[in-house]
Parts: sequence; C-alpha cells; structure tokens
Amino acid sequence: MRRGGREMGVRAWVDRSWRHAILLPLVAVFVLPLVWMTTTSLRETGKPLPRTLEWVGDPVAWSNYPAVFDLLPLWRFAANSAFVVAVAVPLTILVASWAGFAMAQLPREWRLRLTLLSFGVQMVPLTAVWLTRFVLFKQLGLIDTPWALIAPAVMGSSPFYVLLFLWTFLRVPREVFESARLDGANPLRVWVGIAMPLARPTIIAVSVLAFVLYWSSFVDPLVYIRSTDRQTLPFALQMLFQLDRSNWPLLMAGAVLVTGPVVLVFLLAQRYFLQEFRGQGFLGR
Amino acid sequence: MIPPPSAQAAPRAPDKPNPALPAVVPAIRGRGRLRAIRVGYRGQLALMLAPYLVGTAGLVVLPALIGLPLAFTDYNALEAPVWVGFANFVELAGDDIFRKSVFNSLFYIALAVPLRLLGALGLAFLLAQPFKGTGAYRAAVYLPTVVPDIAWALVWLWIFNPIHGPLNQLLAVAGIPGPAWMIEEWGARFAIVFMMCWQIGEGLVVCLAALGDVPGEVLEQSRVDGASAIQTMLGITLPLLMPVLLILLFRDTIFSLQANFVPALIVGRGGGPNYATTFLPMYVYTNAFDYLRLGYAAAMTWAMYALTAIVLVLQYRVAKRYRLGFGDAE
Repeated sequence: MRRGGREMGVRAWVDRSWRHAILLPLVAVFVLPLVWMTTTSLRETGKPLPRTLEWVGDPVAWSNYPAVFDLLPLWRFAANSAFVVAVAVPLTILVASWAGFAMAQLPREWRLRLTLLSFGVQMVPLTAVWLTRFVLFKQLGLIDTPWALIAPAVMGSSPFYVLLFLWTFLRVPREVFESARLDGANPLRVWVGIAMPLARPTIIAVSVLAFVLYWSSFVDPLVYIRSTDRQTLPFALQMLFQLDRSNWPLLMAGAVLVTGPVVLVFLLAQRYFLQEFRGQGFLGR
Repeated sequence: MIPPPSAQAAPRAPDKPNPALPAVVPAIRGRGRLRAIRVGYRGQLALMLAPYLVGTAGLVVLPALIGLPLAFTDYNALEAPVWVGFANFVELAGDDIFRKSVFNSLFYIALAVPLRLLGALGLAFLLAQPFKGTGAYRAAVYLPTVVPDIAWALVWLWIFNPIHGPLNQLLAVAGIPGPAWMIEEWGARFAIVFMMCWQIGEGLVVCLAALGDVPGEVLEQSRVDGASAIQTMLGITLPLLMPVLLILLFRDTIFSLQANFVPALIVGRGGGPNYATTFLPMYVYTNAFDYLRLGYAAAMTWAMYALTAIVLVLQYRVAKRYRLGFGDAE
C-alpha cells in the first residue's frame, strides 16, 4: 500500500513537472513583449540605445513617466476614455443581457434563428462598415463627439456578448422563469430579481471584455474624432509616436500607462472567464 | 414541519388534482386572462430584444449593405455622391497596389490563421486539466490579447528594431544574425504575422470551453480500452472538437483579414516597406480617409467581401471533403 502510494506520488510529481517544464518557457514567451515594454520604459532618455541584450536599464529611471504627462494633456485623454467606458460598458451589459434573456425564453425555433443571425453578424468584418458608419454618423451629427465611440453599445457591442448571456440563461432551469411568470411578474422584474443575480460571473466577464474593447479602441477615434481635446488614450499614444518616433523609453512609458488599467482590470477579473470550463453545454447546444 | 392531517391520512392518488392548486389556478387560468398575460409577456420580451436587433440593423447590417451602391459612385464625403457606374471596379482591376494588397492579405491569412489556431488548440490541450498554477498560466497566455492594439504595435515596432531591438539582440546572444525585419519586404510580412500569433486568447477560451465539454466517460472508456494519451487525443478528442475548430477557423479568417490594420499602420508605418504590409483594410483606409475617395474604397470593400467569401467556401469544401467536423462527430 505504502509503496504504491509513494509510486503514485512520484508519478504525479513527474506528470506535474513535465507540464511545468513545457509551460514555463511558453508562458515566458507570451509575456516577453510586456516585459520588454516595461524594462525599456525604465531606461534613461538620451542614453544611447543598447547594442547588446539588456534586461533592466542601469540606472533605473522613472523620469519617462512624468515626461509623458508633461508632453501631453494625458489626464484630459484619460477622462475622455473613462467617459466612453463609463457609458458604454453599463449600456452593453443592459442591452446584451436583455437580448440574451429574451432569446432564452423565446420558442426554440426563433431562438435558433436569432442565434444564427448573431453568428452571422459576428462574422461581418468591421472594416466593411467603417465607411458607411462614417457617413451615417456624419448625417446624425455624431462625428467628433464621444457618442460616435459609444454607439456600438446600443447593440450590446458584440453579438458574442449577447450569446454569452443567452448561454448563461439557458443553463437556468426553464421552470424558474416560468413560475415567476405565472406568479404574474413582468419580464423586467424576472430579469432584475432572478436572471441577473444568477448571471454574475457572466456580467463580470462581459464587463471586462467590453471594458477592454472600448478602452483599447483605436480605429474608432482615429476615424470619427477630429478635435485633439476629444481624443481618447490610444490616440494619445499615436500622438506621442508622431511627436518623437525614436524616443523608445518615452514611447514605452506611454504604452505602459495606456496598457496598465486594462491589465489591472483583466487580472482582477480573469478568474470569472478563465477558470471554469466544465459542462458549459458549449458543444451540445 | 408537521404535514396537514389530510395529506398525511391518505397518500394522494396520482391522478387526483393537488388540493392546493384549485384555489390559485383558476385566477390565472381564466381564459381571457391567460391570453392577456401571455401576449403581454411575449410583447415585453420582444421589447427587451428590440435594442439589440434595431442596433444591429442600424450599425452593422444596413451599413454593410449601403456600401454596395456607394461603390458605384464618386464620393468624397463633402459633396453629394456622383454615379459613375463600374468605373471604380474597372480602376480596381488595373490598380497594382490593390493587386499587391490582395496578395499580402492572402499570404497573411495563409500563414497567420493556421498558426493562431494551432497555438490556441495546443495551449488548450496543455491547460485543459486543472492543476496547481493553471489559472496563472491561462491568465499569462491571455494577457497579450487584452493589450490595446496601438500599445501592442508600438512595442513590436521597438522589438523589431533591427539594430537596437530586443529580438535581434536576443538572436545575437544565440549567435543568429537577425533579419532587418520591417526594412525589407519579406521580413516585414513575416514580422506582422509573427506579432499577431500572441493575441490568441479568444481562441484559447473557445478551445478550453469545448474541451471541458468532451464527456469524461468517453475518455475514460478509451483509456480503459488501452489507448495511449496521443491516440485518445487524435482519435476521440480532436474529432469531437472539429465542429468548434471549424467555426473558429472561419471566425479567425475573417478576423485576421481586418485585424492587421493597426500593425500595418504603425509597425509598417502606413503599409510599407514598398507596400509589403499594405493589407486590404490598410488600403481601404488610405483611400477613404487620406484620399477621401470613399466610392473607390467601397468598391475595394466589396472586393474584400468577395475574397473572404472565396476563402471561406474553399475552407468549407476542403473540410467537407475530408469530413472534418461533418457527420462523424455527431
């Protein structure tokens, strides 16, 4: 017994070590660009660029970070970005969860049709709608306003988010919604009182995805925003790039500042969409 | 806790109505009333669905369709469009840069899509079984996917710097002379593919979800039957995953065709060198918003649709021919 137990232990240990031996270098490769982004941002500006591999600059210089704030009205851009995110993310949750909730209770046939439609829309390349959205926004007077950036939230930002909510609500036994309905509750009450509290992990996951989407969006402000003081952070980075195309430590400091919030939000919430993959009904439905 | 005496006295016959129900049900079951509630509920559900459907129609479906007539006009977004018939398409046929951008795009998807899919699938296999540290590994692999496009492009522009960039320094340590990357045409094409292989988080999540749905009993049975881990993977898990992989392939093909815009703009500095990274979205953007030739750009967008459709149909036919993701798995 004891011998067998130890053998099992050794086997498990070998099994584990194997995984780590493969995964550690792989993961190192995946985070390497971010490591380089950070280490380069800590190099002294003006010091000749390295000609050999250099991990951390000597001395470590934090001066590039205040320098970015001196060059650009970064708080202004950050406020613009924050406004877009603050409006677009809740709106996305509202629209996407409503749509998913409604689809989950429709007759099967209609649900399938709408699911197919959602997949179809997901497939439309965004480049295909740049032009006509531009013309549309121009007609509506939205060009050069934050509303042009927020607009996609009106459709729940992405059909994929709607599908995520749909799959979440389909996992709730039908009788739960049904009985609330027979008790005379209207859909809005069922949505607030029963559906949303059950969908907390999905709400968090979609919030993070939508946050990343709007915070990082570069093409939208590039196309729809004209005035500098209405731009968002990603565009500020592009301005920094145009100011000085070879000051790498400064550019990387800017990149870290723009990337930081997204990475932080992602790390805080990642367990809600990276941890549990058992029996989601993904293949079957 | 103590059941009422009537219920305790005699076990209810199965077909006898529940004595608790009659008091409540008629109130709801009154004919007209039920109807009223039903329609009302459905109607309200439809209202909750409306923003999504109307928004999708207004922001995706209609804009995508309106692009068609725009392609037959000369339009600079300032004056009214002028009808020019097929002139834009004729010009497109003789446009050398357009031809080059079609080639670049095809080269890009031919290389990037399989690499991204294999990467996501391979990592999903390694990370599917929970063990100590899975969470951290998954998060680390997903991390590059959330980095804003512009920051990602800038850091790679630095990494690909032929003299000072960390990549060539790293290669130098290994004794390999690094290529000039963004300075030569083929170096630039490979570089853009290379940097897009990091952002595969979505594919990873989809593969993980699909792997989590493979019934455990099937795998256990295969193990009991004496199949090795590799045999089980190739013979059972992969065929079960095929439908999902096929959808992922279509999705990534479409995504890849448009996702190279920011890299081309920043890392390729507007599609260079010598138009080597002028992919279709880049050329559409240049024509529409730099040259204000929205009609010509619309024609190009339609060419891009056609190209996407051709590639998808080809993939579909190959998959069907070799029965990948069709029939067997069901």
